[in-house]
Amino acid sequence: MEKILQVNDLHISFDIHAGEVQAVRGVTFDLYEGETLAIVGESGSGKSVTSKALMRLLPTPPSRIKQGEILFEGKDLTKLTDKEMQSIRGKKISMIFQDPMTSLNPTMTIGKQIMEAILKHQNLSKDEARKRAIELLQLVGIKNAELRMKQYPHQFSGGMRQRVVIAIALACNPKILIADEPTTALDVTIQAQILELMKDIQKKLGMSIIFITHDLGVVANMADRVAVMYAGKIVEIGTVDEIFYNPKHPYTWGLLASMPSLDHKDTELYSIPGSPPDLLNPPKGDAFAPRNPYALKIDYELEPPMFQVSDTHYAATWLLHEMAPNVEPPDVVRERMKQFADIVARKGGKPRG
Amino acid sequence: MAKQQYDQLSPEWFQPAPPNVGEQEKINRPSLTFWHDAWLRLRENKAAIVGLIMIIILALLAIFAPMASERSYKEQNLSHAKLPPKVPVLEHISWLNLDGKDSNGVDVYKERGIKEYYWFGTDDLGRDLWVRTWYGTRISLYIGLLAAVIDLFIGIAYGGISGYYGGRVDNMMQRIIEILNGIPYLIVVILFILILEPGIMSITLAMVITGWTTMARIVRGQILKLKNMEYVLAARTLGAPNSRLIFKHLIPNVMGPIIITTMFTIPSAIFTEAFLSFIGLGIRPPEASLGSLVNEGYKSIQTYPHLIIIPSIVISLLILSFNLVADGLRDALDPKMRK
Amino acid sequence: MARYTIQRFVYMAITLLIIATVTFFLMKLLPGSPLQNQEKLTPEQKALILKEYGLDKPVPVQYVQYLGNLLQGDLGVSFQYDNRPVTELIGDRIGPSAQLGFQAIVFGTLVGLVLGIFAAIRHNRWGDYAATVIAVIGISVPSFVLAGFLQYFIGVKLQWLPVAFWEGFKYTIMPTLALSVGVIANIARFMRTEMLEVLSSDYILTARAKGISNAGVVVKHAIRNSLIPVITILGPMAVNLMTGTLVIEKIFAVPGLGEQFVRSIELNDYPVIMGTTLFYSALLIFVIFIVDILYGIVDPRIRLAGGKK
Repeated sequence: MEKILQVNDLHISFDIHAGEVQAVRGVTFDLYEGETLAIVGESGSGKSVTSKALMRLLPTPPSRIKQGEILFEGKDLTKLTDKEMQSIRGKKISMIFQDPMTSLNPTMTIGKQIMEAILKHQNLSKDEARKRAIELLQLVGIKNAELRMKQYPHQFSGGMRQRVVIAIALACNPKILIADEPTTALDVTIQAQILELMKDIQKKLGMSIIFITHDLGVVANMADRVAVMYAGKIVEIGTVDEIFYNPKHPYTWGLLASMPSLDHKDTELYSIPGSPPDLLNPPKGDAFAPRNPYALKIDYELEPPMFQVSDTHYAATWLLHEMAPNVEPPDVVRERMKQFADIVARKGGKPRG
Repeated sequence: MAKQQYDQLSPEWFQPAPPNVGEQEKINRPSLTFWHDAWLRLRENKAAIVGLIMIIILALLAIFAPMASERSYKEQNLSHAKLPPKVPVLEHISWLNLDGKDSNGVDVYKERGIKEYYWFGTDDLGRDLWVRTWYGTRISLYIGLLAAVIDLFIGIAYGGISGYYGGRVDNMMQRIIEILNGIPYLIVVILFILILEPGIMSITLAMVITGWTTMARIVRGQILKLKNMEYVLAARTLGAPNSRLIFKHLIPNVMGPIIITTMFTIPSAIFTEAFLSFIGLGIRPPEASLGSLVNEGYKSIQTYPHLIIIPSIVISLLILSFNLVADGLRDALDPKMRK
Repeated sequence: MARYTIQRFVYMAITLLIIATVTFFLMKLLPGSPLQNQEKLTPEQKALILKEYGLDKPVPVQYVQYLGNLLQGDLGVSFQYDNRPVTELIGDRIGPSAQLGFQAIVFGTLVGLVLGIFAAIRHNRWGDYAATVIAVIGISVPSFVLAGFLQYFIGVKLQWLPVAFWEGFKYTIMPTLALSVGVIANIARFMRTEMLEVLSSDYILTARAKGISNAGVVVKHAIRNSLIPVITILGPMAVNLMTGTLVIEKIFAVPGLGEQFVRSIELNDYPVIMGTTLFYSALLIFVIFIVDILYGIVDPRIRLAGGKK
C-alpha cells in the first residue's frame, strides 16, 4: 500500500509565561492510502496538537514546530508558508472537530458554508457549487437537502450538524481526513450513526482517516492501525488487532484494563493512578514511569527507544529489552493475549494491515 | 539521545522499581487559588497598576491637601483674584508655567506685591484653586463611593432575590428592570433636580432609583448559573463531597463579576456628577465640584487657561485611573483567559 | 419574530406612559406657573388664566387631559417665550442637533469599528496596545473637557477651524469630533472584545481548516459575527450621545435643542424643560426599540424559530 503521509520526529512546543511546554516530543508515524489510523491518548497527551499541526492550524506564537518534518505529496508541510498551506487545507487534507454546536458559523446558512469550501478550491460557477453542495448533503445522509441548504446551524440537531461538518470536509475530495474526537460530544446512538457514515464514505472515496479519540470502543470499531500517545510521544503503534490483543506497553495495558467489560464485571475496575506529567518540565527518562507499576530503574534515567515487535508493531518500553525481566500483565490483558493466537490464525497467519 | 548510552547498559538497570502508590496522587504543579491567580495577573497589567497608584495619590491629595492650606474653598479675596499658579521650587522650571506669570509673561505676584504662593492660582473671585480643586475631588470620590455602595446593597439584593426565587417573582422583577432601564438615567436625574435643589441630594436620590440595574442583572445571571451547578453538585454528593471545593468555586464566581461591575460604576458616576455640575444641574458655586470648576474656567479660557486646565486634568486622571483598574480587574478575573 | 416585536413595542409604550406620568406629577409639584410673572392681576383675571390652562380642574382630570394633549402632540407653552408652544420651540431647534448627532454617530461608528477590528487582529502586539490606550482615554476624558481642549487648541491657537456657531459645514467639524470621541471609544472597545471572542471560536478554526485565507476569515466570518452584538450597544450609545449634545452645543454655541434645554433649566422655564425631557425620552425609547428590532432581524437565531442560544 502507498504511503501518503510521513511524520518524522515531530517536536512542538508552546512558549508561555512560565516557560516552554513541550507538547509533542518526537512523534513519528506513517499514514497509508485508504486506511484509518487511530491516535489514542488522555487529555494532554499531545494527540490534538499533533493533528492540528499536520494542517499547520496551531497559532504561531505561542506554538512552534521545533524540529521534524511532515511529508505529503513530496513536500515538507512544516516548511510551507501559510499561503501555500491554504491550498492544501480543505482541499487535500481536511479536518473536523469535536463540538458540532460551535464548529459552524451561527449566522451563515449551511449551504453557504459548504459552498465556501468548494468555491475556494475549485473553479466552479455558483450554480455548480450549489449543486455539488446539495450532493454532499445527500452523501452524508441529510434529507431534503435543497431545503436544508438555506437553513442555519441552530435549526439542525447535534448529529445533523456533525454531518454537515463532514460534508464541508469532503467538499473537495480530500486525500486525508483528520477527525479530532468527532463523536465525543454526541449521544451514543448518534455516535454509531456518524461512525458508520464515516466508514461508508471512506469506502466510497478511498480516503485515509486519522481518527483522534480517547475512546477505545470507537477505536475498535473504526481503526485499521492504532497509535497510543502519552506525554507527547507515541508509546506504542500497531494494527488494531495487535494493540488490542497483544499490547506490549504498560500504558496500553492500563488503558485496556480500565475498559469496563461484561466479562469481568465482578472484579474491581482498574484505573491508572496519578495524572499525566507537567510538560513544562518533562521528567527524565520514561514519562510514564511514575505511574507505571512495572517500571524498571532504567525507566527513570533513560527514555526507552522503539522496540520492534513485528513488521507493523512497535512499542517504546524497556520491558522489551533483552535484559528486562518477564512481567505478567494484568489479567484482562493476559486473556486477550491468549485470544491473539486464534485471531492471527483466523486471519491467515498475518496480522491485519 | 547518544547511541552509546543505549549500547552499554548494565543489567542492574533492569531491576523493577515500581513507584509509591501514594506519591502518584500528588498534583504536580502547585495550584493557585483563584484570588491569588487573579492578583498575579492584575499585577502584571502595568496600566492597571498605574491607575491604582494614581487613585491612591488623588485620594490622599483630596483628603489632606485642603488641610495644607489655611484658606477655605469659598474664602474670597478680591485683591488676590485671577492669579496664575505659582509653586515654590517648580517655579524655576520655565516650561511648566508654574511661575506666577500670566499669558503676557508678566509676574503678576510681583506686580501686586503678593507674597503668598497660590499653587494652583486663584479664580476671578480670589478663591484658592488648589483648595477648590481638591475639594471638588472629594465630592467626586464621595459620589463614586456612594454609587458603589448602592450597587452593592440594592443591586446585589435585587438581583440575588430575583435569581434565587426564579419563576414568577423573577419574571416580574426583570420586567421592572427592563422598564427602569428604558428610562434614560439623565432624565431621572434632571427630574429629581428640578424638584429638589440641585446638589448632592438629588444626584444621590437619582442614583438610588436607577443606578443599580446593571449590577442586579449581573448578579441574577450569576445566581441562575450557580443554581444549575447545584444540581451537578447534588449528583456529586453521591460520590465524595468536598464542601471546600464548593466554597472555592461558588463564591469566586459571584464575587468576580460583582467587583468588576462595581469598579466600572465608579468612574461612570464620577462622570455623571461632573457633567451635571458642568451644565449647572449639580453642584453649584460657591460649592466646588470638578465639573463646576471646569464650567467656571471656560469663561477665562483665553486669558487664564489654568482655571480650566487644572480641574480638567484632575477629573480626566480620576476617571482614567478607575477605568484602567476596572479594565485590569476584568482581564484578571475572567476565567476564560486562564491557561 | 413577531412575538419579539410586539413584546418590545409593549415595553416601549409602558415606559413612555410611566415617564409621561412622572413628568406630569412632577410638574404639579414644581413651583412655577403661568402666573409667576404676573402678580398684578385681579383674582378674576387669575381665575381666567388658570381656566385657560385647564389648571382649575381636579388633578385626575388634568392628568387625562394631559395625556390626551400628549397624544395630539401638544406639550404646553413656554413661560419665557411669550407662550409659544413648546412643540414649536423644539421644532425650531431640532435641525442642528439632528445633524450633529447623525454626523457623530456615523463618523464615530465607522472609526470605532475600524479601531476595534485593528486592535483585535493585532492582539497583544503594539497595535492592540495603542488602540486600547486611545479607547480608554476616549471614554475617560469627559466630553466637556475634550471640547474645551479642541476649541482652545484648534480654534484659538491654530485657528484651523471656527471656534463656535453654526454657519456652514466647517462649523460642524469640531463639535462632531468632540461628540464622536465617546462613540469611537465605546464602539472600539466593544468591537475589540467581540472580535477577540469570535476569533477564538471553533467555527473560525473550521473556516481556516477549509483553507480560507486569514483576511477572508476575518472579513467573512469574524467581522460579521462581531457586528451583531455591537448593535445592542447602539441604544445606550444614543443615550450618551444625547447627554453629550447638551454640553457640546453649549460650548460651541450650536443653536440646537440641547443648548435651548440647558438654557431653559437655567431660566426655570418648566414647560420647556418638561416638554423637552419628554421629547428626548420618547426619542431615546424609540431608538432603543428600533435597535432591538434591528437586532432581531440581523441575528438569524432570533429571526427564525429557535430563539437565542
